[in-house]
Amino acid sequence: MANQQRRKILLGASILTAAVASANGAKAQTTPATAGGLIEEIKKRGVLRIGQATFVPATFRSKSGQIVGHIPDLAQKLADDMGVKLEVTPTPFDGIIPALLSGKIDITIGMTATPTRNLTVNFSNPTVVDGMHVVASKKAAAGFNRMEQFNQPSVTLVVRRATTGSAAAQKYFPKATLRQFDDDAQVMLELTNGRAHGFVTAYPRTVWAAEDNPDTLFVPFEGLFAKQANAIAYRKGDADATNFFNNWVQYHQMSGFLEERYQWWFDGRKNWKDLMQN
Amino acid sequence: MIGQQRPKLTWIDFVVAVSIAAAAGYIVWQAAFVLNYRWNWSAVLGFVARQDPQSGEWKANLLLNGLAATIRIVAYAGVLAAVIGCTMSVCRVSRSLYLRLLSRTYVEFVRNIPPLVFIFITYFFLASGLVSQFESSVAASTGMNNGISDFFLGPTQNRAQLISAIIALAVFQGAYITEIIRAGVQSIVSDQWEAAASLGLSWRRTMYLVVMPQALTKVIPPLAGQAISLVKESSIVSLLSVPELAFLGNEVATSSGRYFEAWLLVSGIYVCLCLTLSRLSVRLERRLVIRQR
Repeated sequence: MANQQRRKILLGASILTAAVASANGAKAQTTPATAGGLIEEIKKRGVLRIGQATFVPATFRSKSGQIVGHIPDLAQKLADDMGVKLEVTPTPFDGIIPALLSGKIDITIGMTATPTRNLTVNFSNPTVVDGMHVVASKKAAAGFNRMEQFNQPSVTLVVRRATTGSAAAQKYFPKATLRQFDDDAQVMLELTNGRAHGFVTAYPRTVWAAEDNPDTLFVPFEGLFAKQANAIAYRKGDADATNFFNNWVQYHQMSGFLEERYQWWFDGRKNWKDLMQN
Repeated sequence: MIGQQRPKLTWIDFVVAVSIAAAAGYIVWQAAFVLNYRWNWSAVLGFVARQDPQSGEWKANLLLNGLAATIRIVAYAGVLAAVIGCTMSVCRVSRSLYLRLLSRTYVEFVRNIPPLVFIFITYFFLASGLVSQFESSVAASTGMNNGISDFFLGPTQNRAQLISAIIALAVFQGAYITEIIRAGVQSIVSDQWEAAASLGLSWRRTMYLVVMPQALTKVIPPLAGQAISLVKESSIVSLLSVPELAFLGNEVATSSGRYFEAWLLVSGIYVCLCLTLSRLSVRLERRLVIRQR
């Protein structure tokens, strides 16, 4: 008898625990949107949390292990302007939007504002406009010097999965075979081994890839295509955040800060060569 | 005893040795010539530890910090998993139907979800609710010495991820430990139970004084194997941006552009860690066997 009663109590307790846990989850889902807006939340916390994928020179590790790059510079300025501390969390690229939605990070900077992404998150005015480019394998794509030559059924192109590079490759080179990889490492391996003709990615990366692998890679043509606007992304439903971020971008466009930082990081690698190992 | 005498080398040993050498040679040849890769180890070795140019002191860099984080995660998750496993395995062989159902449900539920999916579920549902509360309570008591809290929990950043990673790994591994210990308990012959009963021991005392000590000794080898698999499985939490060895290895690879070197180095560190653990388990096993005699 006592045993049966104990069993009932235990069962009740476990149901209650489950209910509390799920209620907790539900509450946490709704908190980010309320609570006086993102800007107030950041000011109250005293920390601006940004999530960035590792990508040279946007966000990467210096030889001493510090997180450095074009985006941390912009983010530091933003944090300084808000009077808060900055916390940069390296996040795998596919994990950034989930992290934004679940409130693990406040913003990400330099994400390409596509309509599809814009249905899930908000974007500020663009901080940087850049474009797509191709770096090619000397072995597979010998003699290629025009963009059209990459749009052939015999051509294999490699891209990083779920990046705008993969979308641009599908649009500009529909006849070519497209192979998608999760990270830069695999893409570069395929290309340097000559198993692919070209790598479609955002501009300066292509030039450096050719610079780093002069024996195997080259830049087949100069012009950029599929120009894209990169912006600050944040959770939806917050007019104050929209106003703040848009005006922040405009202010620093006018002051020349954005242009100056872009030039410093993207005009070759001379300025920050000594941040890299060796 | 078998194994005291050294076995003789036969022609089969030479065939095996030559084919292994050929396979290794082929891989090295591939890496050196066919892959067309210019090796540059200095670019990644600096990420293990580097000398501060000003003070001349050697400082741990990303990969050593990552190793520390991995050891931290494995230690906490391992202890938690052992507690869960011991508790659940006792439930598993308990006379109460409710406890048996509870532990069986837990084991089957966890074992039939891929670890990756399980980690994500824990992260999104647990981290947002429970862990954020824990985090704010920790933040409230920042009187804690930073050095001490850093030593035990790592840098303050990403604590939510760290904690949900530890919980997910522990719950996941706990299910396997439960089954290992259950098997150990059930391998104890019924004579032991009967002898204990004839001495007037209750079920509980029989369990703790007679059965468990024997069962735990028996399951040391599979438990050690599980500990090693925990080390390897811990790399999966890199998907939650927990800055452990695999995650920082990826960062180093992408930042330096030296992918082969970075991943070979990281795998070497994992091999060292796991080999150390397996040597320790062999020692522990030997000591327990001697003590039992």
